[in-house]
Amino acid sequence: MAVTDRTVAVRGLTLADAWRSFRTAIGLGWAIEANWSDPFLFAVYTVAKPLAAAGILIVMFQVITQGQNPEFLQFLIVGSALWNVVFGVMAGLVQSILEDRERYRMLKYIVVTPASLFPFLLGRSLARVVVSFVAVALTLLVGVVFLGVELRPNFVILVPATIVGVLAVIGLGIFMAGWCLQLRQEAWHYPEAIAGALYLVSGAIFPIDVLPGILHPIAYASPTTWWLEASRRGLLGHGSPGVIGGLPDALVMLFLVASTAITIPLALAAFGWFMRRARQAGVLDMVTGS
Amino acid sequence: MTAYRAAPATNAREAAEWSTGRVIRTNLRAVIGRAYPRVIGLTREPSWLFFEIFLPFLAVSAFVFVYRALEAPEEYIGFVVLGGALTAFWLNVVWMMAAQFYWEKDQGNLELYFTAPMHLMSILAGMAIGGLVMTSSRALAVIGIGSLLYGVTYDIEQPLLLAGVFLLTMIPLYGMGMLFASLFLLWGREAYHLAELLQEPIYFLGGVNFPLRAIGAVAGVVIATLPLGVGLDALRQLAFSGSGVQGVLPVDTEVLILAAMGVIFLVAARLALRYLEHLARREGRLTLRWQ
Repeated sequence: MAVTDRTVAVRGLTLADAWRSFRTAIGLGWAIEANWSDPFLFAVYTVAKPLAAAGILIVMFQVITQGQNPEFLQFLIVGSALWNVVFGVMAGLVQSILEDRERYRMLKYIVVTPASLFPFLLGRSLARVVVSFVAVALTLLVGVVFLGVELRPNFVILVPATIVGVLAVIGLGIFMAGWCLQLRQEAWHYPEAIAGALYLVSGAIFPIDVLPGILHPIAYASPTTWWLEASRRGLLGHGSPGVIGGLPDALVMLFLVASTAITIPLALAAFGWFMRRARQAGVLDMVTGS
Repeated sequence: MTAYRAAPATNAREAAEWSTGRVIRTNLRAVIGRAYPRVIGLTREPSWLFFEIFLPFLAVSAFVFVYRALEAPEEYIGFVVLGGALTAFWLNVVWMMAAQFYWEKDQGNLELYFTAPMHLMSILAGMAIGGLVMTSSRALAVIGIGSLLYGVTYDIEQPLLLAGVFLLTMIPLYGMGMLFASLFLLWGREAYHLAELLQEPIYFLGGVNFPLRAIGAVAGVVIATLPLGVGLDALRQLAFSGSGVQGVLPVDTEVLILAAMGVIFLVAARLALRYLEHLARREGRLTLRWQ
């Protein structure tokens, strides 16, 4: 029987390995996301959902205000557009990990390869994130062309707000992906439920002041609230209606950075813990039948 | 488990010749058998209960707060709550009727349905009845919680007509689900995406969160094609009759449209199923997953 020579140390995961995993996963994610249909239907799918979601809000606004209060319309359009990113990132990360576990049943093989799951997961979900940014651009375009939304970009706010905000949302998505790996039933519904709850408390389509007071602390603690507010200022040149809109730009950015700085390390630590727990509980190859 | 009480046959020919009564009984058993897991799921899966009430309720709440921020008249809050309840049925039709045959194929059940001695319409009817019972509890919960929490007041002058219109809405709605069940199998390999595509765009076209009249001429197309939109428009006129809400058409006309839609969708579902069965047998794709 051959004796394995263990004198040579096995090297760990290098940055180049992670990059290769990430790149390969991007191609795989895009193929899964886009190859299910012909390009026309895929384009309709990409365009129809976000535009219809924005359309609902626009009609509600028109019915009640008859086109008065254009500032509120701008608030609605930008919030509705940007929310595509939150849902795209969260759903992308969670559904990637669940699909690979339950549908394609590849998760256990990915976990046992020398590559880390983490870069793979990020790459695998990137296609959805890209599609969600297309939805943002389209919704804003419709707002500008057909509804008279006036964009006054302030890149000093917009660029850092977008980078920090998207990182925060990725952090939330990573947390959710790890959490959903533990669940036996209904894991597919969680991103929708959590994104729906955040939608409610983040001031995406109505000012936070309208919420019952008991929900205000949750709203102010969520990085999505500050990301949306900073992005509105970066895109429109003014903030939301209500109390939050009266805060100085610097304070809004400070809250965004602070809430993100708390979210990301917590999310990474939680994901690591969830993965260890998933290995111990033997749920990495679990099929829930859902 | 109850025993199957058919008289034992003495030869193959006798075994193959079923009386009309036996065919009916077998198909009724299939209807009950397929409805059973959905009805019993009401108590067996508390997590379903949570998600199927919680998710529509979140959406309802978001739109209620938008109307509050716009200082809309109170009846609009009621419109949203009623729309949210009907959304639960639409989600059930899309995910648990239209996409169901696709999931069944993925799990290997579809071939069993095709080979069992019953009509596939019985399976679809069972899915529809079970789904209707299951979703009614969710919809009632959404209406109850939403009405209490947001102080919705209803002004119902004709409760029997309201109940009748509701039931009449469900027939074409689930008939549409039966039709889509075959079409989803025919169209492609990603029922998930097709089901996703039938959400926000349909909420928009169906006037789930605003009066259908608000979308202008498009409402005419909706009235002619989408049972969710017609039913919701009629139900709003009946549930908020004192608010002066104007529907796209009078309730009587919408009732006739719903009745016609019910017949059309059920017949179309039957034809689509026959075509699917023919195609599936000819091309042998019944057992292929992810296709």
